[in-house]
Parts: sequence; structure tokens; C-alpha cells
Amino acid sequence: MSFAARFFSRPATLFGFVVFAAIVTIALAAPLLFAHGPMAIVGMPLRPPGPGLLAGSDVIGRDMAVGLAYGARISLLVGVASTCCAVGIGVLLGAVAGYYGGLVDDLLMQITEFFQIIPAFMLAMVLVAFLQPSLSSTVIGITLITWPQVARVVRGQFLSLRSREFVEAARVLGMSDARIIFTQVLPNALPPIVVISSMMVGNAILTESALSFLGLGDPDLLSWGTMIGSSRVAMWVAWWTTVLPGVCIMVTVLAVNFIGDGLNDALNPRRGC
Amino acid sequence: MALLAIKDLTIALPPGADRPLAVEEVSLEVSPKEIVCIVGESGSGKSLTAHAVMGLLPGRVVATAGSILFDGADLLRETPEALRKRRGRDIAMIFQDPMAALNPVVTIGRQVTEQIRAHENISEAAALKRAAELLAEMGLKDVPALLKAYPHQLSGGQRQRVMIAMALSLSPRLLIADEPTTALDVTTQAQILKLIRRLQAEREMSVLFITHDFGVVADMADKVVVMRHGRVVEKGATSAVLGAPGHSYTRALIAAVPKGDKYLPPAPEAAPLVMVKDLTKRFRRGGLFSRAPQVTAVNAVSLTLRRGETLGIVGESGSGKSTLARCVIRLLDPDAGEVRLEDADIAHMKEKSLRPLRRRIQMVFQDPFSSLNPRETVADILIAGPKSFGENVPEAKARAAEMLRLVGLNPQTMHRFPHEFSGGQRQRIGLARALMVKPDVLIADEPVSALDVTVQAQVLKLLDEVRQQMNLAMLFITHDMRVAAEVCHRVMVMRQGEVVEEGPTRDIFTAPASDYTRALLAAIPGHGAL
Repeated sequence: MSFAARFFSRPATLFGFVVFAAIVTIALAAPLLFAHGPMAIVGMPLRPPGPGLLAGSDVIGRDMAVGLAYGARISLLVGVASTCCAVGIGVLLGAVAGYYGGLVDDLLMQITEFFQIIPAFMLAMVLVAFLQPSLSSTVIGITLITWPQVARVVRGQFLSLRSREFVEAARVLGMSDARIIFTQVLPNALPPIVVISSMMVGNAILTESALSFLGLGDPDLLSWGTMIGSSRVAMWVAWWTTVLPGVCIMVTVLAVNFIGDGLNDALNPRRGC
Repeated sequence: MALLAIKDLTIALPPGADRPLAVEEVSLEVSPKEIVCIVGESGSGKSLTAHAVMGLLPGRVVATAGSILFDGADLLRETPEALRKRRGRDIAMIFQDPMAALNPVVTIGRQVTEQIRAHENISEAAALKRAAELLAEMGLKDVPALLKAYPHQLSGGQRQRVMIAMALSLSPRLLIADEPTTALDVTTQAQILKLIRRLQAEREMSVLFITHDFGVVADMADKVVVMRHGRVVEKGATSAVLGAPGHSYTRALIAAVPKGDKYLPPAPEAAPLVMVKDLTKRFRRGGLFSRAPQVTAVNAVSLTLRRGETLGIVGESGSGKSTLARCVIRLLDPDAGEVRLEDADIAHMKEKSLRPLRRRIQMVFQDPFSSLNPRETVADILIAGPKSFGENVPEAKARAAEMLRLVGLNPQTMHRFPHEFSGGQRQRIGLARALMVKPDVLIADEPVSALDVTVQAQVLKLLDEVRQQMNLAMLFITHDMRVAAEVCHRVMVMRQGEVVEEGPTRDIFTAPASDYTRALLAAIPGHGAL
């Protein structure tokens, strides 16, 4: 069975993939779909969903549908960007720690543990507040609290892989350490890294929403978390203002996690990779 | 009447396995007080046959036809509960890896008494007394301390003795031994085989012994059953089968066993290529700040290796032979001493200046499954070396095809991944990888110990051909004296990090100077019988 066939053999994975692809499409097409931006006021506040205003309007009369579409851009951007950064840092540090072992490993793992013992969300909050809320500070904050888990997974993989004879063979053949790490060991350590990163995208989206909900999002951008945060006063009179962005977050994270599960199964060598 | 009679036993594998039937119409008998050996290579079905007798087939593997009569009762038709009661009491089994079979967090005393009390209603104290007697019967010393010890504190031989004690604690009538000495050193193996024979005679039990080693068969068996691809190809009295094998496969198996009777003539004189002087390597146990003593794995070892010659380094586990090899090729950094490659002392050279010299010393590894990167094709594996020493890719690719032909593989298989090859073929790929960079010195670290005996013979032959053809100096690490005798011009015997003796192969084998070498030679299974 090919990788793609195995990946799509689970209905949940297929569902996750289709939903995720749809969200990405909407996010990319948002400026084409809507003539005005998410901040524009289009009518009366708190209009319920109906003809003309598909998802109703929010507390100050902005079109919720436009907000949701533009919010997808922020959520996906933050999710993917922070995951890429965290994976980059985590793979690099984890690989070096696991490959060299000894003192290097001790030192790097102490640093990793330092980040892991601080309550993650508090750290992100303080950091974003300190850097001034903006898209990039959100990404930095989320990266800083998520890279340690990547580093630990990568280190574990490298620790067990570095003693394999094919790594010794590469050393004997005069390959440099960097070459061995990236061309020999890393490809063998990839499956768990891919799986953990897909899960991290979902977590990053949640963290971004939570930060925005608390007012620590970029003030110039409208994200799903900001929408919930700014509408919470109207929660009891206009359900759509909080429920719709909440559903968007949930569906996106669910889709990403389904994809992660699918990747885990498809990459698992015990299923005959 | 036979104690155990297996008739037309057929065992099916789950769908998707490499063949539909693991075992096909196998029949064999074990009479009272008899030792029967099942001998075969990997995949012959010998182990599954034995497991079927114990009712221990792995899930989804089922016996589909035939019968297993034990004392007249068909074990295949007994309830799981009845079968459970038989295990240990009527039929007991010992396995290859005693460390995996013992619970690591429970003391030996508790494990042995637990086994006894699971079947007999006796007090803890009485069971403990029985356990002590049993362990003493196994030839174990200082039994009271042993009862309080944990498995990791015992040596491999001690662990296997404990396993045998547990197996025999309820005086079974049949003992099934599944490769019980394969993981042990040769001298320990000889002791365990002797112990099993003694116990068999004293307790008048029957033994069904599974092995891949015809030497062990010669030492142990009254009768022998040869299996291949799930079928019995030949069976009979040991002397008859070994003396006049009827089936061509049996003849091939016996012929493939290294005999240690023909020795290579001394290698032609040549200038020394590698000179190791007083090489010492210590390992620190535990962490950086731990006070555990250092272990000297290699202690002031010297050797000389010339072009065109093979020097065998023989020793049991813990002798430092692999550490020595890894120091010579600088996978490990020696603590003291010299490793001269012609004029250059590479023992303490910095990695950067060492890198261009690395081309000249290459290695063939032990484990055919972990020595090839599973994510690279054979072509990528072969050209990695030349690429890292600056050769251009098309040229290296052309040579890779040539090299595959040299080691007896089809060059068209170059685009395949390692898992598509058998163990023996992978070892050939590993050899081709080493030869791709045109080395002067080849270090072979137990290159055939993971292979079946017939494949072993082919790979040994190939190594010797390649050595001649490319005029290589070869350092051959092995635990197996018989293998060393086949391919080495000179042999160095090591024990606990030190050289016991060294000399031309013929001298070492026919007139050993040290007691230790004599003990090693005497422990070779089937010594003199094959």
C-alpha cells in the first residue's frame, strides 16, 4: 500500500484533510470573497444570521462572516509559523543533544527543562505583553513554549539511532557530523517529528485564540480569539458572536489532529512502511 | 512407546506472511530418556514446532492439521486449562534469552519459588528450601546469596542455569530447549550443554533440543531431525545422519559448518601496514561525577597487520576485541598507545586531519539489519563514501554497479531499499560499501555471526576472495574459533582486554600455548565429531 493510500484509508483522516483544505482555501480567498475588510462596519450591531449577513453582525456591527474568513488567516498563519519555528529550534537542539550526548546533552537538556518547568501559557502571556502584542510576538511566544517537546522527542530518537551501525559506517566513510545528522539520522527520525508537528499546529491555534481572547492579540488584526473576546459581553443576547468563532477553532483543531493521527498510522513502521 | 509423538503437524501462518504454511506435515518421536535435536536454519519452522508442543504458538499462528501425542493424549485437542497444568509439570521449556525470560525486578529466589508454588500447595519456606536444592543441583555456587540476587546481577551462564532450575522444579518428563546456548559464550555453552546432559541422565527425562548448530547436535543428540522450509528433510540416529547424510541439504549444512581443520598458509611477507602499540581504552561507568571505577576494556594491546593477510582476533564477550577494533578505526578514541597507519599515528589525531585517512580503513559490521540506512537505496548507500571523499557521482554510480557484481549481487537491484534483501545479501551490500572507497585495511566485526550457517560459508568465502583480489589487510573479529580457523592467517586470542597469545593459525589450533586457548578449543561444540 502506498503512503497516500494508507493515509487516506481512515475516514477520520480523510475528513480532517478535506476540512483543513477547505479552511485553507477560504483563508486564502478571503480578500476575493469579500469586498470590504473585517474591520468595516456594515450595519446594525448584533443582527442575527440571515439573508445578506450570513453569520450575523458583532457588537459594533461588523460582518461576522468576513471576520471568520479573515480570522482563519491569522489562526493558520500563527499555527503554521510558530510550529515551523518550534520544530526548527527543537530539531536542531534535540539532534545536537542526542547525537553528541555527554556534556552537550546535559547542558541542552537543562535548558530544555528550564522552559518546561515554567507554566507554558503564563510564559507566553508575559512574553507577548512584554514585546507588545503583535502577530510576530504571538508567534515568538508560542514558539518559545512549544519547542522543548520537539527537542525531547528528537533527542530520544537520535540517542537510539546514533548507536546504529549505519551511523558508524557513515563516520568511517569520512562524513562530517552535520552531514551524518541531516542525511543519515534525521530521515530515520522523521515520522515522530511529522506527527508531533501536526499536533502542535492545533495547539498553537488554541494558544493564539486564548491570547487574543485575553486582549493580547495584534490590535490591528481580527482573529477568532479576538472575536470571542470582544463579544463576550453579548454572549447571552447574541449567541452567534461567540459560538461561531468557537466552532471554527474547534473544527480546525480537530481537523489538524485527525491529520496528525493519520500521519502517525501511515508512518508507523509496524504497519509495514 | 514414544513419550512425544508429533504426527503430520501442519501450522498455518497468518495471511500476508511470506509463505502460507510455517510447518508442513512434520512427524517426529521422542522416546523416554532420549535427546532429540531439531536442527535447521532460520525460517525452517523448528522453533514453531517446539512452541506448538507447549501450546505457545503466537496469536494468529495456528496448528491446522495433525496431532501432538504426549503420553497418548493429543495436546492439540486439550483445553487451555489442561494445557496450562501440563506446562512445567509434564513439559517444561527453556529459551534462548534468559534475561528476557526472567523478571528483572523480582529476586531469583522469589521467581523460583513462585514457579513451584503455582503448581504445588506448599509453604513459602518449603518452596525456598526446594529452590535452594535445585540451584545447587544446577552447579551454582553460593546459593543463599543467589536467591536474594536480581537477574541483572548474574552472568549469562548463571541466568540460564536458573532458567533450567525453574524448568525442572516440578520434575517434568520432557524438557524443550529452544536454542538455549546461542546467546552464550563458547565456554559457558559447553558447561550448559554438559549440565543438560547430566540432568537428563540423572532425572531420566526426555529432551527436545532446538538448534542451528551441527556441532551442538554432535555433542547432544541421540536422534536428529533436519528441517528446512517447514518440512522434515531427514531424520535418524545422530551417528547415521552425521556420518552418512542421506539428503543433499543435510550434506550442505554439514559441509558449511566451519571445521577448523584446513588452515591458510602463512601470508606472504610484506611491510607492516597497521602497527598498534600498547593501545589502552578505559570506560567510565555511570555519569560524569560518579565514583564507579573505570573499566579497562583494552589493556596495552599491540599488533601488526600486513598487506594481504588476515589477522583474527578471537575472544569471548567482554574480551575487548570489538573495542580494540573500534579504536583502530577510530570510532572510539583510545586513552593511550599508538595506532600507526604506515607513517601516520592516527590514535590521537584530530577528526579533521583524520578524515582523509579514514578512506584507507573500512569496516564490515555485525548486524545486517542495522548496518544499512533503511531510508536510502542501495545506490545511495554505495556512493555515499566516494561522494564524501570527493569523487563525482556518475563515476561512483558506475563503480557501484561493478562493485555489486563483485560481491555477487545483481547491479539492477541498486534502486532497491535494504529491507528488500536477505541478511546474507545485506552483508554483501555492507562489504561493497566498504570496498567502494578502495580501502587498504578492512575490519570485519563478527561479519557472519548473525547469518545462517550456509550463508555464513558463502560470505566467508567472499571475504577471502576480496582480500586476495584487492590485496587487503584484514582484521577479523570473531567469537567463533571455527570461523577464525577458516579465514585467518594469524590469530590473536584475547581475554578481559589482554592478549593471551598470538601466532599462526595452525600453531594456535594445534599447539596452543595457554590454558585459556586450550579451554576455548575444547569448548567448541562437536569438537572432533564433525
